[in-house]
Parts: sequence; structure tokens; C-alpha cells
Amino acid sequence: MIAPAGSTLWLLRHELRLTWRGLMSRAGRGSGRARRIWLTIALPLILLFAAGAPLAFALRRVRGIPSGPIGVVFALAAAAVVVMVFTLMLSQTLSAAVDALYERADLDLLFSSPLKPRRVLTVRFLAVSFTVFAFFGMILTPILLPVAVMGHPAWLAAILVLFCIALAASGVGLFLAAGLFRLIGPRRTRTVGQVLAAVIGAAFFLFGQARNILGGAKSATAYAAIARVARNPHMGDVPGLTWPLRAMLGEPVPLLAALGVGGGVFLLANEVLGARFAADAAAAAGAGAAGRPAKLSGRMRFAPGAFRATLVKELRLIGRDPALIAQVLLRVLYMLPLGFLIVRQAGQGQSFALPGSAAALSFIASQVAGSLAWITISAEDAPDLLSCAPTATRTLRRAKLAAAILPVAIMLAPVILPLIVLAPLAGVAAAFGCAASVAMSAMMNVWWQRPGKRAEFRRRRQASWMVTLAELLLSVLIAAATGLTAAGMVGWALIPAVVALVGVLMLSRSDEKIAQALRTAT
Amino acid sequence: MTDALSIRGLSKTFGGKVAVDDLSLTVRAGELYALLGPNGAGKTTTLRMVAGLLKPNGGDIRVFGHDVLGDPAAAKQIIAWAPDEPMLYDRLTPLEYLEFVAGLWGVEPAVAMPKAEELLRWLGLWDNRGERCEGFSRGMKQKTALAGALIHDPQLLILDEPLTGLDAAVARQVKDLLQERVKGGATVILTTHILEVAERMADRIGIIQHGRLVADGTLDELRARTGEGKATLEDLFLELTGNGEDAALESATA
Repeated sequence: MIAPAGSTLWLLRHELRLTWRGLMSRAGRGSGRARRIWLTIALPLILLFAAGAPLAFALRRVRGIPSGPIGVVFALAAAAVVVMVFTLMLSQTLSAAVDALYERADLDLLFSSPLKPRRVLTVRFLAVSFTVFAFFGMILTPILLPVAVMGHPAWLAAILVLFCIALAASGVGLFLAAGLFRLIGPRRTRTVGQVLAAVIGAAFFLFGQARNILGGAKSATAYAAIARVARNPHMGDVPGLTWPLRAMLGEPVPLLAALGVGGGVFLLANEVLGARFAADAAAAAGAGAAGRPAKLSGRMRFAPGAFRATLVKELRLIGRDPALIAQVLLRVLYMLPLGFLIVRQAGQGQSFALPGSAAALSFIASQVAGSLAWITISAEDAPDLLSCAPTATRTLRRAKLAAAILPVAIMLAPVILPLIVLAPLAGVAAAFGCAASVAMSAMMNVWWQRPGKRAEFRRRRQASWMVTLAELLLSVLIAAATGLTAAGMVGWALIPAVVALVGVLMLSRSDEKIAQALRTAT
Repeated sequence: MTDALSIRGLSKTFGGKVAVDDLSLTVRAGELYALLGPNGAGKTTTLRMVAGLLKPNGGDIRVFGHDVLGDPAAAKQIIAWAPDEPMLYDRLTPLEYLEFVAGLWGVEPAVAMPKAEELLRWLGLWDNRGERCEGFSRGMKQKTALAGALIHDPQLLILDEPLTGLDAAVARQVKDLLQERVKGGATVILTTHILEVAERMADRIGIIQHGRLVADGTLDELRARTGEGKATLEDLFLELTGNGEDAALESATA
């Protein structure tokens, strides 16, 4: 046997097998098989021919890094790509590190075995590194292969650099999770960790949108500063600036340095935190067992009636779901630049980007509403409790939909209300578009509800491809109608609006059919 | 006096498999009725149909005269259903859970709040009222669910394996609570695999097998039917449910 039982390699093989099976089960059964084939064969082939081959052709005569400002621009671009990939990977590894502390899975089994906790941690995070690396590697490899074949085999080193970034991201993710654990304690680490992971994931995007957030003048200064940096003749002398690019192009010393940094951060995190990880994981479990502290200042008042009681319950559950908060926050972060842009343009009397922004706003609103409606409608923790209550299903459903729509309305209000004042047509169009898309997403989740668990939130779209696709198409149609209306093309807007309406009517289901489908599903 | 529960000709099949087969039984108001049977006999299916969670293929169910199938809301208003797996929300506190359940049953906050306090104090959960249920032990969860079942003062309390997984102290607390409710005029129907509990607590016992009621009555009536004067419920149960001894089964149903 290559890896004796109990060795790091043996444990890693076990961990990777579980990871792989987890990924495959996420893909689902039946139609999931076609998706797997698509993901593993078709997508790399498309990338190979659509991106890899043209790039290889364009770069076939390039030899090394050009000197002068162009070389500096290339070096800066490579460094930027490294930072971007690192932040995206860090978002995933931090999330995985927090999950590892709280989601026990087989940790109790492993920690109760004679294996050293440090080894368990090392292997778990090596598996995390492999997983994040595999995702980016699957995109990068088909692009890089033709380039390597057409004269630049050393450039395959970029894949190795990618793995180094994954290792470093795992190490930093582990440090961050452990740091949060020390700073804010086991009770809050899960929520804050997930939220931080979402913010880190969006950080590069937000930086790229600095122009929209900060305003034209300030961001122009930021971009101008970057351009000035690139034109500076002394930039080429800055030590280490070209190293990321040179490592990617396969130069031995920078590549070894990348391996040293990536592997070093990973090993350091495991060395420093390995012994404490088991204790932290136990403390996280203990925090759950001890329950949350009482917040009983003042006398609690019960909400009267089934509607209000259900609404309050759903809002509490939404507010206490770290994974959901992180997902919604991520979408809010992506909406932030859009909001700034739309309000600023309206305020400055500019209108060229308003229709597109209004359309995008309606699309994002639909996505957020769909997520929340899935949680409130399909991910009910105690469906039998509701079924044996004397409350009408419609009352419960209305309360659940209200709980899903309320946070979206609160999120949209700061953008849409000023817009209505500053640019009435675009504002009203955005308001109607958002209302229509939110209503559509909410009703789709009612008509095509499929019972699931809150923990399955990230996989909810795999329940039905047809419904997911239909919801997406309808969102696009409503967004198009919103954009065209905001542009003053009301007549043209009727076309997508009518098509969307017909689609919604075709997909609607009676209460009886919903009940029948639910009986079949359960 | 109106019967608490009256079931006539009830049947339920799941994809051709018969779970409940032309079942008829009556539970009188104010009694504690134990419904016993081997695994897969149809006990839970029957009780889920009574609670309005499953639609039968045929038959009639009445709770204090209310037709469960024709007027489910009226029947549900006076029923409480407590399954073996507590119907809870991990991220709610017991007090928040009771607030929600009280809202579902339309209990006025002015009535529900003191009732919630009374129940939580009685079940020893008052000090945990502000903690989320996610950290609770099984016993604490079961007690929270029981408090939820009682918040609207149900006339008919249906419990499926209420003592499963509970330690001796909590089990005693639950048994005391059920007997208190019966003394207070409520009707309790429970299923259990712990035959000693049924023997000691139940006013009447029903034994179900293959979806049909094979015996029904007080312990003495069951003894009389089987001709085993001093038999324990366990002896009677094993004899009535047969272990393949069809003769005993036939004599009991005759």
C-alpha cells in the first residue's frame, strides 16, 4: 500500500474522496449526470478553443517580459490577478475554516482516534486547498495548455503558482478564523466569519467599482495613481514587483519563492494553530450546548395572531442564519456600486446609464427575494407543526412571503426613493420593475416549492433546473422591461413585460396542485 | 357524552402498501388511551390522520364531534399533536417558540404569556427561556415541544412515543404532566413501546397490527379476552400480536 493507514497521505486520500463524493452528490442525480459531463468535459473544451487557442496564437512570438512601461503594466496586471485570486480563494477558505469549527461531521471521530489533531487539521486544510485550487485550475488549465503547446511550456508554472495561492489562502483563512475565535468568541465567530468571507469575496469587485462608490473625481485620482505608477521609469527597479509574473512564466527562483511563501504560510498556520484547533472545535460545540445567553431585558410581548406570529418567527430565523446573511450580504455588496452610480447619475442629471442600472437593480432584487422566499417557504423546519395548526395555509404563506419581501424592500428603499425624487421616470420604472421581479420570484418559490433544509440553502437551485432557468429568464425579461421603461421606451418595454406575464401565468399552479406536488415530494 | 375520538372504517395505503386497513376505534372523553402495536403496525399513520397531517383513502374521523376531514380547522383547534421527533426551531428560544405556537392556535397574547410562563416553570425550562433550542438536550427539546402542545389547552392530546430518549427524571415529569392533564379533563392518546408505562397509566389500551385493531379495552378486559387472568400487558401484547400465533389473535378479535 502506498499510504499506510493513519498516515497523512492516507488521511488526505480519505478526505479528498469525501470531498469528491460531496461535490458529485451536490450535482444531483439524473439530470445531475449531464451537468457533471458538461462541467468536466464541455466547459474545459469551450475554454480551450474559445480562450486558450486564440491566446496561444497571439502570444506565440512573445519571448519573456517586455522591458519599459509595458513590462511594468504586465507585472502590475499579474500582481493584481494574484491578489484577486487570493481574495476569492480566501473567501472560500475562511468560510471552510469556520465551517470546520462548527460543523462536526466526522471531526469527533477523528479527534477521538489516536491521530494527532495537527495531522487532522493539516489534511482537512490540504483538502480545502485542493478544492479551491481545483475550481480555478479547471478554468486556467484549458486556457494555458494551448499556450504551453505553442512555444511556452514553462508558462504551465502558473498552475503551480495557483496552488501556492490556494495554500496561502488556506493558511490565512485558518489564521483569520482562529483570530475571530479569540477576539469575539465561539458564539459570534460563525456569523462574523461567514459575513467576513462574503466581504472578502467581493473586495476585489468593490475595489474595481471604486469609481462608482467614491464618485468620478476621487476614483479618477485612484486610477490616475495606478497609471502614474505604471509610467514611472523607476517602477521597473522596485524589488519583487515582477516576481509574480516571472513565477507564472516559470522562472525558477521566483517560482521557488512562490512555493516558499504559499507552503510556508500554510505550514505556519498548521504549526501555530494545529494544537489549538481541536480545543477550539470543542469550545464551538460547547457554545452550542450551553445555548445562547438570555436577552430578557424588559418584558417580552407575544405577537398576536397567526400572521404576525409567523412573520416575527420568520424574520427571527432569517436574522439568525449566518449562511443566509452572508449570501444576502454578498448580493447587497454587489448592488452597492450600482446604487451609488444610479443615485449619483440621477442627481447630476445624467441619464445614459440609468436604464441599465434600473434593470440590474430589478434583477438583483429578484435574486435576493428568491433566496429569502426559498428559506421561508421551502426550508420550513417544522412543517408538521404548521400542518396540524388550525391556521389557513394562505395566512401562513402570506406571512412567509412578507418576511421574504420585507428585507428586500428595506434594502432597495435607500436607492429607489431618492431615485423617484431625482429622476421620476427611472425611479418609478425601477420601483415597478423591482416589485414585479420580487413578486415573480416569491410566487415561483410558492408554486414550485420543494421541501428542503436550511443547510441546503447553497444547493437550492439544484432542486429543479427547469424552474431555476425559468425564474432566471423571467428575471431577465422583467429587467429588460424595467430598463426600457426607464429609457422612456414604454412601447418596447411592453414586449418583454407581456412575454414575462405569459410565462408567469404558464408557470402558476393552483393550491391543489401545489399540495399534490408536495405530497409526492414528501 | 361525546366521544373524544371516533374512527370508522379508516384506511390508508402508500403506493399499494396497506398501512391502515378499515380501522375503527373509539376513545372516550377524559381517558388516557394507549395505542400499542409492533413496528409498522400503522399507529403513527393513524394518529397522523387524526391530527390532519395525512389524508386517508377512506373512512371517517371525528374529534369531539368535529369532522376532521370535513372541518379540519375546528378539529385542529382542540387537538395537540406531539410526535417523537420534536417539531422545533433550533434558532428560536422556548419563549419565542411558544409565542409562535400560540399565534398559530389564535391564543390571545394576554392569555398565552402567563400560560407560557406557567408551562416553562412547571417543566423546569424557565431559566432557559432565553436560550436557543439548538443547544438543548433531547429531553429539554421534548419538554419545549410538549409546552408548545399544551399552550392552547387542547381537549385532545395525541403523543407519538413521548418517552423515547428521555432520562428517568424527564420521563417521570412527562408522565406526571399527562396524568395531570387527564385529571383536568383532557383526553390523552399515546403510543409507546414501553408496555409498563401503558400498563400503569392507561385507562384503556388498543392493540393494532397490520393496520387493524386486534384488541381494545381495559387491561382486565384484555385479560378476560385472552383468558390469561394474571398476565402482564407484555404477555398479552405478545399473545395478541401473535408472533405468528393466529389462533390467539382470532380469539381476541372474535
